[in-house]
This record gives sequence, C-alpha cells and structure tokens, in this order.
Amino acid sequence: MSEQARMKFFCDTNRCIECFGCSVACAEAHELPVSISRRKVITMNKGVEGKEVSTSIACMHCTDAPCAQVCPVKCFYIREDGIVLHDKNKCIGCGYCLYACPFGAPQFPRDGAFGTKGAMDKCTMCAGGPEETNSAAERHLYGQNRIAEGKVPICAAMCATNALLVGDAEEVSAIYRQRVTSRGKGGA
Amino acid sequence: MAGVANTWGYGAMTNHFGDVVGNSKAIFVIGANSAAANPIGMKHFLQAKDRNNAKLIVIDPVFTRTAAKADHYLRIRTGTDVAFIYGLLHIIFKNGWEDKEFINDRVYGMDEIRKEAEHWTPEETENVTGIPAAQIIQVATLMAKTKPATVVWALGITQHSTGTSNTRILPILQLVLGNMGKKGGGCNIIRGHDNVQGSTDMCNLADSLPGYYGLAEGSWKYFAKAWGVDYEWLQKRFFAPEWMNKKGFSLSKWWQGVLQEEKTYSSSPVRALWVQGNGITSLAQQAKIKEALDKLDLLVIAEPFLNEAAVITERKDNVYILPVATQFETEGSVTATNRSAQWRSKVVDPLYESKTDHDVMFEFAKKFGFYEEYTRAMKMEVKDGVLTETKKDFNWPDDASRELARTLKTIGLGGWTPERLRAHQENWHMFDPITLEGYGPMKGQYYGLPWPSWDENHPGSPILYDAETAVNEGGMGFRNRFGLEHEGVSQLAADAVTVKGSKIKGGYPEITKDNIEKILGITLTAKEKELIGANWKVDISGIIQEKCRAAGVAPYGNARARTIVWEFPDPVPKHREPIHSPRPDLVEKYPTYADQTDNFRVDVKFISEQTAQEWAKDFPTMLVTMRVVNLSGAGMLERTSKYLSHLTPEMFANIHPDLALKYGLRDGDMMWLHAPQGTKIKVKAVHDFSVTPDRIALPYNFAGVMQGVDLSANYPDGTKPYTIGESSNTIINYGYDIITQIPEFNAGLCRIEKA
Amino acid sequence: MKNFLFFILALFFSVSAAYAADTRIWGEMIIPNILAYGTAENYNLGPLFVLLQSQYLRLVFAVAVIAVPAIFATHYFIVGPKVFIHDGNKIYIFSVFQRIIHLLAAVAFLLLVPTGLMIIFGRYLGGGTLVEFARHIHGFATIVFLVSVIPMFLFWFVEMLPTTYDIKWVFILGGYLSKQKKEIPAGKFNAGQKMWFWMCTLGGFVMIATGIFMYLQDFDYGIATALGVSQIDLLRISVIAHNILAVMITAFFFTHVYMSLFAIKGAIHSIITGYKEEDEVKHLHSMYYKKLLASGKK
Repeated sequence: MSEQARMKFFCDTNRCIECFGCSVACAEAHELPVSISRRKVITMNKGVEGKEVSTSIACMHCTDAPCAQVCPVKCFYIREDGIVLHDKNKCIGCGYCLYACPFGAPQFPRDGAFGTKGAMDKCTMCAGGPEETNSAAERHLYGQNRIAEGKVPICAAMCATNALLVGDAEEVSAIYRQRVTSRGKGGA
Repeated sequence: MAGVANTWGYGAMTNHFGDVVGNSKAIFVIGANSAAANPIGMKHFLQAKDRNNAKLIVIDPVFTRTAAKADHYLRIRTGTDVAFIYGLLHIIFKNGWEDKEFINDRVYGMDEIRKEAEHWTPEETENVTGIPAAQIIQVATLMAKTKPATVVWALGITQHSTGTSNTRILPILQLVLGNMGKKGGGCNIIRGHDNVQGSTDMCNLADSLPGYYGLAEGSWKYFAKAWGVDYEWLQKRFFAPEWMNKKGFSLSKWWQGVLQEEKTYSSSPVRALWVQGNGITSLAQQAKIKEALDKLDLLVIAEPFLNEAAVITERKDNVYILPVATQFETEGSVTATNRSAQWRSKVVDPLYESKTDHDVMFEFAKKFGFYEEYTRAMKMEVKDGVLTETKKDFNWPDDASRELARTLKTIGLGGWTPERLRAHQENWHMFDPITLEGYGPMKGQYYGLPWPSWDENHPGSPILYDAETAVNEGGMGFRNRFGLEHEGVSQLAADAVTVKGSKIKGGYPEITKDNIEKILGITLTAKEKELIGANWKVDISGIIQEKCRAAGVAPYGNARARTIVWEFPDPVPKHREPIHSPRPDLVEKYPTYADQTDNFRVDVKFISEQTAQEWAKDFPTMLVTMRVVNLSGAGMLERTSKYLSHLTPEMFANIHPDLALKYGLRDGDMMWLHAPQGTKIKVKAVHDFSVTPDRIALPYNFAGVMQGVDLSANYPDGTKPYTIGESSNTIINYGYDIITQIPEFNAGLCRIEKA
Repeated sequence: MKNFLFFILALFFSVSAAYAADTRIWGEMIIPNILAYGTAENYNLGPLFVLLQSQYLRLVFAVAVIAVPAIFATHYFIVGPKVFIHDGNKIYIFSVFQRIIHLLAAVAFLLLVPTGLMIIFGRYLGGGTLVEFARHIHGFATIVFLVSVIPMFLFWFVEMLPTTYDIKWVFILGGYLSKQKKEIPAGKFNAGQKMWFWMCTLGGFVMIATGIFMYLQDFDYGIATALGVSQIDLLRISVIAHNILAVMITAFFFTHVYMSLFAIKGAIHSIITGYKEEDEVKHLHSMYYKKLLASGKK
C-alpha cells in the first residue's frame, strides 16, 4: 500500500491573533448563511495577562471520524487523502454527528418551517461534496472546491500570521516542529 | 510624523517588516495594536519571535491581542509616553548603556536630553505612567542589551496633545541606543490604512505641497515650473496672494471654519465641503461636525460607499452624493507603509455610473476652466535638461506617474517610473520577502523601490540612514535639513561617518547650485550651469542628481539627527499631562502648553481647557479608543459586509467588571458615557479584563447613531449598512496636538451612567 | 400541570428565539467542550455515545423488533390465545374521554415507533428525503403524544400504583405460559399493564424532554446549568437516554399490541367500546372483579 497523504489542519496558538480572517474568508468563499460559521475563532481568558489564548476551530477531519461512525444514514465518506465529507442529499439533520464530534464542527441551518434543522453543514476543507466536481450543484450545497483546483483551503490561504496550517499531517507537524525548535534559539 | 521628520529628515518608517523578521532581536511596540490594525504586520513580529527568538515588548493602556503575544507587557496610563521613554533613558544614561560613538558622530543636542532624563527616576516614572518601576528597569535593561532592537508605533503615539513630542522621543530612544540606520533597528512607524504613506507623500495635507515641499514662494515657483503654468496664474487662484503661503484648515478642525466659535483666520467662513476619500465620521467632536455640516451651503460626498457625513447631518438640501470607483476599477501606484510603491491593475471598469477619482477631478477642472493647466504636466518631459511639452495628449496613469517621479525630488521619487513599478508588480516572485532584494531579472532592485529611489537606476532604499551601504545601493546619512550649524555647532555628521562608497569623507551639506562644485570637487560646464536648478530639490534638469550619483553622494547631504527642535514650543520633548487628565496633582506639576493662536487658521485651547475645572472629579474614568479587527476607519466600508458586521453586531465598550458593577452594569447592559464637552453616547457595556477599572476602551468604527438618536431614516434607500452604532468620536475630548493638530483620541476622560 | 403544558408549548414556539443565542455549543464553550471530550469528568459521554451508536444500537433494536414478535408468534402457536365468553355480561371500564385519549396515544405510537425505527435504520433506506420526512413526522407525533400522555397519566396513575399481588402476577408471568383458564391475581390493571403504563408515561416524559433538547440543540433555559453539565453533554445524555428508552418502549409497545390484538381474543374491543367481558375480568383481573362484587357494583 502506498503512503497516502492525510490532510490535516493545525492552528499554532503562538501565532493566532483572533483576526477572524479565516472565518470570514470561509463564509465569503462559500457564501454561507450568517448563522453558520464553518470555522470559528475563539479566544479564551480574554484580557487576562499570560493566559489569553486564541485559536481557530473547524472540522478536524479526524482519522476514524466519530461523526461517520454514528451517522444513522451513513452520509459521510472519507476521501483517500483523509478529508471527511458528507452527502447533504442523504443527511437528515438528526444532529448525531454533533454529539459525536469532539470539536463542535457540525452545524445545522434552521431553514425549515418552525425553525426545523436542515442538512448538516461543516468544513469541507474546501473539497466540495459528492456532486460532480466544480458543478453548480456542488457549489450550491458545499461551496467552492478549491482542492480540485489545486488550491489551499481558503482559511489557511488567507491566514495573516500563518497560524493556520493545512496539508499532509507529516508536513504540518514538520513546520510546527521547526517553529518550536527555532524558538529559544538565536539569542546570541 | 512632524516629530520624526524634524529629527532626521523624513517622517516615515525607516526600516521594513521583512527586516524585522530577518534581523530584529527585540521589538518595542508602543501605541500600536498590530494584531487588530495590521495583522499582516503582526505576522512579521511573530515570525521574528519564532525565527530569532526576538523579544516582543508591548506598551499599551489596554491588554490588546498584540499584548497577548508579548514577552513583556507594560500597562501605561494614556498620554504619558514621553515620561515613560525618559524613564528608560534615565536608566540607560545612568548605566552608561548609550551608544556613545553613534551619538558623538551622528546626533546633535543629546546633552539636553540627558539633562531632562535625570529628572525621570524609575519612581517618578512609575508615579506618572503607572508602570511599576521594576518593569521599567527590566525593559530598559533589555533594550540596552539587545541589539538590534526596533521601535514600532502607530496612532496610539500620534493622537495626543503631545503627539509631536511622542514622535520625537521615540526616535531619540533609538538614537541613544544607536539602532538607527541598522538592519533590525530603526523606527517602524505603521501607517493606519492602505496608502496613508502615499496620501501624505502626495500631499493630502493642509500645510505643505506634494512631496512635503513647504508653503513658500520658492516651492510654489518650482511647482509652477514643474506643472508648466505661470506662477502669477497660480497666485491668482487664491483670494489674496498672502493666502498662498498660509496653511489651510486641518481635517481635525475644519468645522471651526464653518462655525467660527473659536477665533479663525480666514478670508471667509467655510461654505462648501467636498469630501472625497475621507471618513468624516472618524474625527473627533462629532456633535460639532454635525452642526457644521448642517450650516454649510453645500455638501458634496464623492465615495464608493456612503460616507456617513451624509447621515449625521439633518440637512435635506444641497447634499450631493457622487459614486466614485474603488481601487479595483482604476490603475496606478499606492505607497506601502515602508515607502515601497505597489502598482495596482484595474480589475473591472467602473461599475454603473461611478467614475474614478481622477475623472471626477478632471470633470471638476473642466467645469471651472483650468483643465488644460491641470493636465499639462502630464504631456511634458525633460529633454536635454529642460522641461518641454512633447505631446498632445496624456496617457493615464503612466504620465501621471512620470510627472510624480520627475517632480517630487525631496523624497527621491526619481526612480518610480511606471515601467519599473509594473515590472515589480509582475515579478513578485523574484523578490526576497525578508531583504526585499530582487533576484534574476530583478537583481539590483529592492521590492517597490522604497523611496528615496533617487533616479531610474537607483534600487530604492529599504533602510533609511544606513551609512554602511553605498548611496547608489540604498544607503545614506541623516538628511541635512535644519541648516549647517546651530548655536555654533556643526549640523553635519562627524568625519567618522563616511557613507560607504562616497567620494566625500564624513558629513556634507545638501547639494545646491552654489556648493556643488566645491563639495563634489567638480567643474560644471557653462551649459550645465545654465540648466541647473538652485538646489537638489528644485533641479528639474537632473544634473545635481547625476553628479551626486557619480560621486556616491546623497543629494540631501550627510548630517546629524537632532534632539533639539528649536522651532517647536518644546525644543526638547517634555512630558505634559493630557488636556483632560485623571491626575490633577500631575496637571499642576506637568501642565500642558499655553493656548495657541492661529494654527491651521484657528486658535486652539490648551492650558485654559486643562484648568477650566478639575475634570477628573466629574469625569473619573479614562477613555481609550481602540480598533476592532473587522472594521477600519469609520467602518463605513466594512459595515456593509454581513460577515464582518456579524463579528461586532453593535457598538460596545470594554469595561472591567469591577468598574461596571460599581455602576450596576451587568455584562451586556446599556450605559451612557458623558464627555467633558457635554456630549454623550449610549453603548453596550461588555465586561472585559483587558482594561483596568480606571479606564474603558471603545472601538471608533461606528456611526449612524448620535447621542442616543438612531439616524437610520437619514440613510438614502439601500445604503444603510448591516450595523450602525454610536461613534466614540462624539465623546472624544477636546484636545489637539500643538504642531499637527491631530485630535487627542487616545487620552481623555468620561463619566459612566447606567442607561 | 397546566403550567408544564404551557412551558412545553412555549418551548416549541420560542425555537427561533432560542437558537438565535448560538453560543452554548458553537460559541466560546467550544474550547472547554473540546478539552472535556472523552474525559472521566463528563463520563466519557462523547465516546460512549459513539460506541453505543456505532456498535450496539442497531443490533439491539434489530433484536427488539425481530426477537420480540418472534417470541410472541411462538407463544401464539404453542400456548395460543386466551379466549373468553363474548356473549356474556360486559363491564363498563373505560370512559369516552379515556378512550379518546388512548386513541390519540395509539396514533402517536403508530407514528413514533415506525418513524423512530426508520431513523435508526435510515442507512438501509438510503437516507435523504424519506428518512428526513420520517424525522419530521417523529417530531410532529411527539406533540400528539404529549397531548395524550398527560391526561392519561392523571386519570390512571392511582390505579397503576403497584400492589402486593402484582409480585405474584410477575412470578407466574400473568399465566400466559399456561393454557389453563385460571384466575390471575390482578387489579383493574395487571402488573404487565402497570409496567407498560409507567414506561409509557414516565419514560414518555423523558423521551419528550430529551427529544425536545435534541430538536432545539442550542438553547438556554438553565437546564444544562441546573444539571451541572455543558450543553453538548446535555445533548449527549439526551440521545443516549432517548435511544435506550426507545428500545425498551418499543419492546413493550409490541407486547401491548400483541396482548390486545392476539393474546386475548377480542381484548381490543374494551378500548373501543369501553366494555370488557365479565369472563375476562373475572379471570384476568380477579382482584378487581372481587372488589366490584364486594362493592355491589356487580
């Protein structure tokens, strides 16, 4: 078996400055409703010296994704490169994936009568969905498919401070490792 | 920037962001919240931390997102920056940590600073600034021992009644430490918005001509020549000849020209206002601005997005809103904060009936009958040392760029030809982001040709005042701008400071027609003598630049930076309490300036306002303004984006829970904030630990609600942004810088009342 | 009770207001939620739900919906139904109101159980519109069930209180394993019916509450706070409780249907007409019959 790349996100909290660039870029690129944020920027301990930490959270595209395990209609599928996607035409909006998800990634637009939940929406790592690649249907349901165009996901592409890294897990960890090791050097 | 320019010649960022990443070992950020105001700039500080283990020191009244990434955070009281820097200098001088050689060779007047610094013991500095003495000593030690260190600031420093003193004391700190003209050092002054550097270079100012040429007859005559028009014709455009050399009203106090409540010096009240590319709602004294807008005879607003000046006024007639194209609908260059030019291409033609800025101006000129004179220079070029009209029509924007390049000699735009700037835009990938150096076909040029780029072969100057680099490769000494001597002391650099590759040893004056032969040791031909201009700034023939290049000499000289600005009310920067200070005891000890007559055509109150009453008694809470990351300026552009608006759906104030609960304000409760001038705004109290209980912090990016009154009805159909809110500028206290007249946005007082 | 009803209805109608808050799951709580995931502090609720849902739930439901009817079919063919005299005296035991309420509950169950099963086994139906429709019906039927279960609880709960002879009933399994026609110790309701009743009402209330929680997702009525858990954990508790109870209720529901339709010939008529055969009461509800005799009502 060949060594497959496994696509992962990583947010370096030493770099994230809560500029919301990733979140807004994502919403703009995929033309999301305002109530949906596929990517969230969160700051903890706001204003507390030495404790304030900002980070950016979205679907982490888990290996053995719990959402896929619990879905009653099996609407999830995991690409060979590890990107976890789902089929909105199969999804029934039950919310099980949200209960299973460690990261609070799945969200449900309230677009039906009496505010019923529609099909789940989450980060696609800009890889669209099961519809024909770059088709109008795919764009309508899932937003842009930048991966198919050979582009980096919009959030990481726009990250002002290069806090948000995306790519093969090995490469991402290599970049982070280099940052960590060069910190604490160069004093002389 | 007047403070910086008066220290060493140019009021601009001396180094650049890539240089910080590559070389800085310490980054001293004061009065700047890059994480919110300039995230891309912030990246470079974080990269420097990651790559060089650079120490980030942040000084700010509020614990900002920038401060959250700092190795050392110092919480300063607003308006005490001069005192704080003197506190550092006190320790540096006391321990002999200053760069004695640098000061001796390249600086004038340091003894006066040393004398002033003696007063600022750590204890007194702590008393004034609120920063613990131990922290002051720690940071002074760190700055003295860590080289190179860069100083970064933005509007938190300039927006004070002592703004000009602030912008002088920080350069002085760098001079003392010998960090100037060095890689990884310098003063990295971050501009607030895109192309602010460009707009001041191009003279969106009331007190100079383009390229910072002064308002003097000589400058006017030079421009008359450069524009191919008669000096007399230019003069006749003014009401009377004397107005030609007087400053106009400033952006901060133009409304006094309408209302004339304070004494104004003008031939007539201001009756018409043309607003193009400026958020009137981002200026202090909104209530007064509204009154002035109401009183005008005519208001024209020419903007891509609705300027809320049209909304805060109640007037129904004689308001015209013209649609102007965005940057994506036109072409040309803008100037980045580091003096680099960036060429921008047109993406689409102007949408609907909108016109580009220059087309609006051309229409205007046609209507008033001076279109021919207005555009003539674009049809001219220098031929055999003489400016001649060579063609019938001009080509926008190329010919406009050529006119700028050929005319603005003071800041050395000679190299900024449209061809070169386009080539830089098209070949981004051939430049190193850290050093800005070009590779391959771009070899021998720095990205964007950071000015001064003296001539068409000059690579640009990424780091100002770097004497270790040859002039023709971007090096130079300090500018000889303030005369040859002062009180018998030469203002030229010492003999030890020979700019690399220069034919002349040590310092030399700026080059003029009279001294060129002597200084450069050359003889001009009779023809050259006939063509040459009086000095390097007005030499249209280009002969001075040509000769200087051959000698490896910067035409502006090689002089000393000065710490004494003898023209200013404070020749040596002094701490003076803000006009509205929370410390009455310190107001007595460090009072502000005497009241000022006729600055930008209007009188300005200083001491009389400061001592009108004990403000701190009725207005006990310090008022700090801040920027939020999703909105810039008056926010009128960003608030039309639903996603950006969603991040801050309403106007708010960050308030410490201890202070809030004192007034019975729960998180999310509404409160009134009252200002000394009698204005008030109603905003949401948001509990936040980034402020201490003695101060509150407000974003300044809202408009559309005025003193509790919702102005939604005043928006023309379909122009109301997703969010509107009270403008913090309504309650910004009275107070202006003594030189630049910038409002005191960042120091003031208010009173809280539960709504 | 009226207040409770009002509260439940208010819940439904304040949906739009509730989800507008959008803070308790996707807001700042997201980080503590991530940190708490899979820790003992919150009883591993996330992984527990994943384990139950992915490994056991469909299996247990499959057993419930296949094995329970299979057992009854076996019982029907081996032991056979109980047959009572249908032309004898009848005893009036269910009022019109009770019968209407029961009818509503029956309708609710006939909607809830199959649609619930459709969700559980949604993957075999291909998901999508059909199963999503089932989910909407499931929600709608909840309202019908809510309207019926409250009066039902009120008018029957005294008679449903357990008694000593219920233990005996349990020991002989209500005599259903015997073909003999004996008097079985039971009041108006036997122990089996009582178990079903409590399962259906108390269990039903839990089902309704947890269902509403899952429907609203991000709301703030202080429930999670009162329970000392995070909102997402409240949802996880809800889904686990809902599904475990669902298996049990489904099994009991099948039993109830089998008893009324097959195990006792004609038993269904009592809830339609209100009258039960005296013979049936005498044998299957002997204590109640004796009480009736003693009180002179019979």
